[in-house]
Amino acid sequence: MSQFSDDPAAELRDLFFETAGELLQALNEDALKLEKAPADEDVIRSMRRTVHTLKGDAAAAGFQQLSELAHVLEDALAIEARAENPSLAELGFVAADTFASMLAAYRAETALPDTSAVRRLVQDLASQPQPGSVPTAKSISSGGQAKWTEYEKLSAETAASQGKKILHVVAQLDPLCAMPIAARQLLVNALSGLAEILAARPEPGSAVQGQAIELLVATSEPESAIAAKCRIPTVITTVECFEPARGNAPIMAPADGQAAATARPGPRSTAAAIGAASPVRRAAGGETILRVDAERIDNVLNLIGEMIIGKSMLQQALEEYTSRFSRDPLRSRLQDAMAMQARVLNDLQRSVMKIRMVPVEQLFRRFPRMVRDLGQRCNKSVELIVRGENTDVDKSLLDAIAEPLTHIVRNAISHGLESAEERTRAGKPAAGRIHLDASHQANQLIVEVTDDGRGIDVRKVKARAIESGLVRADEVERLSNAQVLDLIFRPGFSTADEITEVSGRGVGLDVVGSVLHRLKGSVEVETRPGQGTKFRLKLPLTLAITKALLFRIAQRLYAIPLNTVIEIARARESDLHRVDRWEVVELRGQVLPLIRLEERSGEEIATSDRRIFVLVIQPAERKIGLIVDAIEGEEELVLKPLDDEALDTDLVTGASVLGDGRVVLILNQAALLERFLASPADSPSTGAIMAAVAGRGSGVASGVGQ
Amino acid sequence: MEQFPAVKRSKDGQPIQYLIVDDSVFARKNLGRIIDSFGGKVAGEAGDGLTAITEYERLKPDIVLMDITMPQMEGIEAAEKIVQKDPHARVVMVSSVGYQENIVAALQRGARHFVQKPVKPEVLYEVIKYVLGEDGVAAGATGAGV
Repeated sequence: MSQFSDDPAAELRDLFFETAGELLQALNEDALKLEKAPADEDVIRSMRRTVHTLKGDAAAAGFQQLSELAHVLEDALAIEARAENPSLAELGFVAADTFASMLAAYRAETALPDTSAVRRLVQDLASQPQPGSVPTAKSISSGGQAKWTEYEKLSAETAASQGKKILHVVAQLDPLCAMPIAARQLLVNALSGLAEILAARPEPGSAVQGQAIELLVATSEPESAIAAKCRIPTVITTVECFEPARGNAPIMAPADGQAAATARPGPRSTAAAIGAASPVRRAAGGETILRVDAERIDNVLNLIGEMIIGKSMLQQALEEYTSRFSRDPLRSRLQDAMAMQARVLNDLQRSVMKIRMVPVEQLFRRFPRMVRDLGQRCNKSVELIVRGENTDVDKSLLDAIAEPLTHIVRNAISHGLESAEERTRAGKPAAGRIHLDASHQANQLIVEVTDDGRGIDVRKVKARAIESGLVRADEVERLSNAQVLDLIFRPGFSTADEITEVSGRGVGLDVVGSVLHRLKGSVEVETRPGQGTKFRLKLPLTLAITKALLFRIAQRLYAIPLNTVIEIARARESDLHRVDRWEVVELRGQVLPLIRLEERSGEEIATSDRRIFVLVIQPAERKIGLIVDAIEGEEELVLKPLDDEALDTDLVTGASVLGDGRVVLILNQAALLERFLASPADSPSTGAIMAAVAGRGSGVASGVGQ
Repeated sequence: MEQFPAVKRSKDGQPIQYLIVDDSVFARKNLGRIIDSFGGKVAGEAGDGLTAITEYERLKPDIVLMDITMPQMEGIEAAEKIVQKDPHARVVMVSSVGYQENIVAALQRGARHFVQKPVKPEVLYEVIKYVLGEDGVAAGATGAGV
């Protein structure tokens, strides 16, 4: 039985919100399908099933109004003759939106939204001639008013199939008793041991509380015994007890149409309802069996992190022991135990990590509906092509990029794509295309949004940037196109609508920039005038625990995720050459550009015969080499994120503590490369990164190279 | 005050022993008066849930009348603890309508019945008879309570 403020009830509600989100998603998807193929009965059936489930869930969670609205909708979708009615898709959309805002209202415990849009659509549907359809209203048994939910009916059927008798109990509340819920509980108590309570009304929290308490019970006792037990003085006056099948089957009684009749036209239009819809938070995967708070998994992961630090402490102690007592037979036993522990820990960590991973499809699913709505509003026909939806990504990361991605897609439709006429004039297909792609590259997640629209006018961006005071006029001319395009992600670049007229882009893109920055990711724009624009989001997979290569540069200890290192090469400084601005080394006949973090004059290098290591990394398409002084080994690092105050640079993704207590900074190779590529335009300032990384420099490094 | 046919224990014909738990002295006295009118005996009183538990242990009353909101330990918890120790304990919750949820919780934890405040003697009388069941006999009545 549901209770009031108990944790189980709260948990149940949370679960409901989550599953309801999925149901609405399914509803949206069906509506989209229905829009394309209005006659598809399978889709209508699927839609009805979804609504049906929602109805039952909502009732079980105690959200009567939602359940009731779902009931109305379910009825509307019931009849075969509904097929090929174009307004069904519309009804699906409006209903999904209304449900979504109801859910939001329940969640926030605010007033429920207007549901008249749905009701009116249902009414319109009902008023259309339905050949062959017969009114389905059926009368309910004499005393009973309760409509049992599908779950309750199902449990009744199950109990009946086990040879139990199903009874519908209608107990009239004593007029002196002002506590129907307490009375209900008392009834439930009174029947405990005699009958199994399958359902009970009124439900806690329901707004209208009738004068009767109704129960659906399964029992082996005679009806008279049940009725006698229910006569509780001061609470219950009279009791009616009957088998539902006899009383014109309230168990199976379908909707009586009464709910639909209460529909009243409201002031708000359908379009307004769509606009008011708040997106429902995405829930976890469809076939998930167990739903757990992500925080719990994070806790486990944190603990594993601590264990890994403990493991390296043990490892170091063992090494010291080994060197002191190399002949001690205990040594090998300790080593075996350590090895086993390491293996298990590794498996444990991977298993937990896997729990957190979800396919990016969970995020992508929301876009078809959004694209459709926005396309309609902008009067553009848009085709959405989604790829790589099976790419696995950490759930928290997925949640974090939802907003920026939405911004970008929205921008692409409203500003990137041209109108149909304009496109036809330009010799393009009338329908615009938006591609949504996700993939893994090295240890990064890449999400791309590509449109085939008009592209971004770099000149206009420049003008706007100068106008906004982001750059000086003389500066802007020195910037590469890529650097100019980066300006659109800067806060203050635009104030919403103004920019849409100027450059056609910019609305809320600073949000994209700031979120990506926070996630230690990056965003790139490629645009070709008249052909389209591509936004590429690159995100570290933010694995909390990562195998890393430790190395030294100028006595300082750094780490880089091991899986990003393709190769470690040895060289002498005298092997290095200078091509243009870059230092390069020849590696098996290929020229590899190099990054040097340490500040050294060219002269010093040229004359040095020092042995160095070159770490070959490939953050993107290009391989580059990182010059390091010494390799320290590899170790599992528990990534401790650094807050922005501690370290004002994106060159470092985090820090970690080694087994011996030393602190190591983990380099962000994507940012390294970015700096590296950006540097040629600027004057060489080789030590800047070192300074920034070491926390000495107050400014952000402006370049690498030389 | 109206007198009711006295309710006695059916096993030995003795008056029903009550433990009254309420943090308000006035409420306790009021309930005591009503119980008198049923021919019952107030075995003890408690002003909070903790005391209620120890007093129940000591006195083993037939019926506990338990308020919901009290210092130290609330009525629900006290009721639950008492019933845990003695499954036969008959705890009747006494509370105002605003605490319906708490009453439900108490009922789920083993309380037998509830009475609304302000307590109407005739209502409490019926409740007592119902809760006692065959263990109580009303004088002048032909048989046991409901």
